[in-house]
Amino acid sequence: MRVTNQMIFNNASRAATAARERFQNATDVASTGQRVVHAEDDPAAAGLIVLERAQATRADALGKAMGAAIDELEAAGSALGSVGDALVRAKELAVQMANATYSATDRLNAAKEVDGLVNTVIGLLNTQVGARYLFGGFKDGSPPFDSTGTYQGDDGVKKVEVAPGMTIDASVRADVAINGVGGGVDVLATLNAFSAALKVNNVAGVQGSFVGLDASLSQVTLARSGTGVQASVLDVAIAATKVRRDDSLKSLSTLQDADAVDAMTRLAQAQQALEATLTAAAKSFQISLLDKL
Amino acid sequence: MSNLFAVLSNAASSMQAHQSRTATASHNISNADTPGYSRQMANLEATSPADWLGGSFVGRGVSLLDTTRARDGFVEAQMPRVLGDAAKSSATSMALQGLSSLDPDGGAGLSGGLGTFYSALSQLTQNPSDLGSRQAFVAAALGAALAFNRAHDGVVSARSGIDAQLAAHAGHLTDLTHSMAELNRQVRVELASGGQPNDLLDARQKVQDELVTLTGAAVVPDASGNVSLMLTNGGGALVSGDQAATIGSLPDATNSGHVQLTLTPPGSSAARGLTLTQLGGTVGGQLAARDGALATAESALDTTAFEWANAVNAVHRAGFGLDGVGARDLFSVNALAPGAAGTLAVNAAVVADPRAVAASASSATLPGDGTNLFSLLQTQSLALPGGTNVFDAIAAAIASYGATTGSMRVASERDGAVKDQLDALRQSTSGVSVDEELVSLIQSQRAYEAVMKVVKTTDDMLSALLAMR
Repeated sequence: MRVTNQMIFNNASRAATAARERFQNATDVASTGQRVVHAEDDPAAAGLIVLERAQATRADALGKAMGAAIDELEAAGSALGSVGDALVRAKELAVQMANATYSATDRLNAAKEVDGLVNTVIGLLNTQVGARYLFGGFKDGSPPFDSTGTYQGDDGVKKVEVAPGMTIDASVRADVAINGVGGGVDVLATLNAFSAALKVNNVAGVQGSFVGLDASLSQVTLARSGTGVQASVLDVAIAATKVRRDDSLKSLSTLQDADAVDAMTRLAQAQQALEATLTAAAKSFQISLLDKL
Repeated sequence: MSNLFAVLSNAASSMQAHQSRTATASHNISNADTPGYSRQMANLEATSPADWLGGSFVGRGVSLLDTTRARDGFVEAQMPRVLGDAAKSSATSMALQGLSSLDPDGGAGLSGGLGTFYSALSQLTQNPSDLGSRQAFVAAALGAALAFNRAHDGVVSARSGIDAQLAAHAGHLTDLTHSMAELNRQVRVELASGGQPNDLLDARQKVQDELVTLTGAAVVPDASGNVSLMLTNGGGALVSGDQAATIGSLPDATNSGHVQLTLTPPGSSAARGLTLTQLGGTVGGQLAARDGALATAESALDTTAFEWANAVNAVHRAGFGLDGVGARDLFSVNALAPGAAGTLAVNAAVVADPRAVAASASSATLPGDGTNLFSLLQTQSLALPGGTNVFDAIAAAIASYGATTGSMRVASERDGAVKDQLDALRQSTSGVSVDEELVSLIQSQRAYEAVMKVVKTTDDMLSALLAMR
C-alpha cells in the first residue's frame, strides 16, 4: 500500500485516540472498582443490578422494621414482667393476710399497699415507646388505662412484615392479657377486689382472692412469654433477612464490581499499549526524505 | 525539417514540460495536508508528430499531455455509502451514550428512589401514628417522584438536545447544497472548455463528502460532469445539477413538537417533511436515536410511572389518614401516561400535612392502625397493567436501553473501522507522499538541467557554425 503523509498523521491520530480511550476506560474501571457504570457496559447485568439492589434494600427495610418491633416487644415484655412482680407481691400479701393472726389494721395497711400496686400496674400498662402507648391496640395515642383501671384501648394488633407479603403479630392485646376478654380474668378488677376485701377485714374474701390472683399471674406471665416468643421469631426472621440481603449484595458485587487483579492487569496493558502507540507515532513523524536531502 | 534552431525550440518546450512537472510536485507538497485534496500528476509524453528527416523520424522532445487527479473509481464508488453508514451509527451511538439518567446506579437513580420509598413505608408500618415517621415517608415519596422526574428529564433533555442539533444542521445543509450546485456549474463550464478542473473537483468532492456524511444521500453523477445527490426512499434531490434544495426545520405536531427537517425543492416554495427512513448519515443517526431508543425509554418511564402511581393511589384511597379522611391520592399523576414520569408529584394535601397518609384501614381504628400500609407495601410486587411489577419494569427499561446503546456502540465501531479502511485506501491512491514528491521534484530538476545542457550544446554547435569563415 502506498503510504501518504495524511495517512501517517491520520493513522497516528486514530491509533493514539483509540489507545487513549482504552487506557481511560481501564483507569475508570480500576479507580471506581466497577465494571458496569452505564447500562450499555453489560445490559443484562444492568437490569439485574436494579433488581438485586431493590432486594437488598427491601431486606434492609424488613430488618429495620423487625428490629423496631423487637424493641417494642421487649419493652412490653419488661412491663408485663413488672406487672407479674406486682401480682406476686399481691399474692404474698393475700397469703399473709388470710392468716387469722393479722388484725383489721394490718389488713387496712395491706390494702394501702395493694392500692399502690394497682397504681403501679396501671402505670406499667401505660408504658410508652416514643409517643406510642404499647398496650392500647390501635388507640395508641392516649393512655390505654385510666386512673380507675378502665381499658380505653381497642383490640387492634400491630403486625410486622417478616418476609415480603408475610406478616406476624407483634404486640400484646391488653384487653386479653389484662382485662381477660375471651375467658380470662380481669387483673385490675381482681386486685381491686382483693384490696376491697382487705379494707373491710373480710378474711374469707381475702382467701377467695387466691384463685383470681393466681389466674391473673398466669395470664400476665403467658402474655409476657408471648412477647418473648414473638421476639424470638423475629430474631430468626431478621437472621434470614440478613442472609437474603447478603446474597443480594454478593450478587450485586458479582454483577457490578470489577475483579481487582483483572482491572489492574488491563490497566497495565492499556498503559503499555498507549506508550507504544505514542512512541510509534513519534517515530513515524521523524522519518522523512526532507531530513536526508 | 529539423535543424539546430528547431532543436533549441524543442528544448524550450521540453523545459516548460519539466517546469510544469516541478510546479505540480510543488502544488502537491503544498497541499500534502489539505483536507480533500487529491494528488495531481503532470503527465508528460514525447512531442508528436516527430520530424521527418532523411527518411526517418527524429523526435521533438517532451511536452505536457495533461494534469490529472489520482482517483480510484472502485474506492470512490463505495465511499458515499460507507461515509453515510459510519456517520449514522456514530451519531446514534453518541446520542444514546450521552444519557446517564438510565444508569443502573445506586441511591440517586430510579431503583434507589423506589427502594427508599418502600423502606420508609416499611418503617412507618411500625409506628403509623408517629408524625416523624409519616414525615419521613412523605419525604421518601417525594424522592421517588423526583427520581422519575429526573430520569424523564434526562431523556427529554437528550431528545431536545438532538432537536437543537437538527435545527442547526438545517441551515448548514442548505449552505452545502447551494455550494455543491454552484460547484457543479463551475465544473461543467470548465469541462466544456476542455480543461480538467482538478482543484474544483476536489472542492466539490469535499462538499459532497460532507453532505453524504450528514444525510446519507446517494450520489448520482451524469455525463455532463454534474454530481447530483438524492435522499433515499423518495426523499427527493438535495442537489440536482446546478439546482439546490433548501433544508428547513419545524416542530412536528404529530411527534410531540420535536423538530422535523423539511426539504423545499428548487423553484418551489412548498416544503415537505422528511421522514426517518429518508435520512441517513449524522442527521438520520440522531433522528434514529431521538425517535428510537430514547423515545422508547421515555415511553417506558411514562408508562411505569403512570401505572405504578395509579396502583399506589388505588390502595391509598382505600385507607384513612389520621384526620379520619379517606379516598385521598398519595401521588398526583397525569390523566394519561404520556409525560406522566415528568410530572409525577406527591399529592399537595399529603405534603402539607403528613397526617393525610392513609395508614389505617378504617376511620374507627385510628391512630395506630397501619393495616393499609401493608397493602401499600404489596404494590412493589404487584403486577402492573404492563404485566410486570415496578422494579421489573424499570430493570427491563434500563436493560433494553443498555442493549440498544451497546449494539449501536458495536455498530459504530464496526462502521468506523470500515470507513477508516476505505479512507486509508482513498488516501493511498489520492493522498500526497512528500517523499514521492521530493523524488519527483529532483527528477524533474535533473531532467530540466539535462535539457539545459542540450540548449548549451546546441548553442555551442550554432556558435561553431557561425564562427566558420
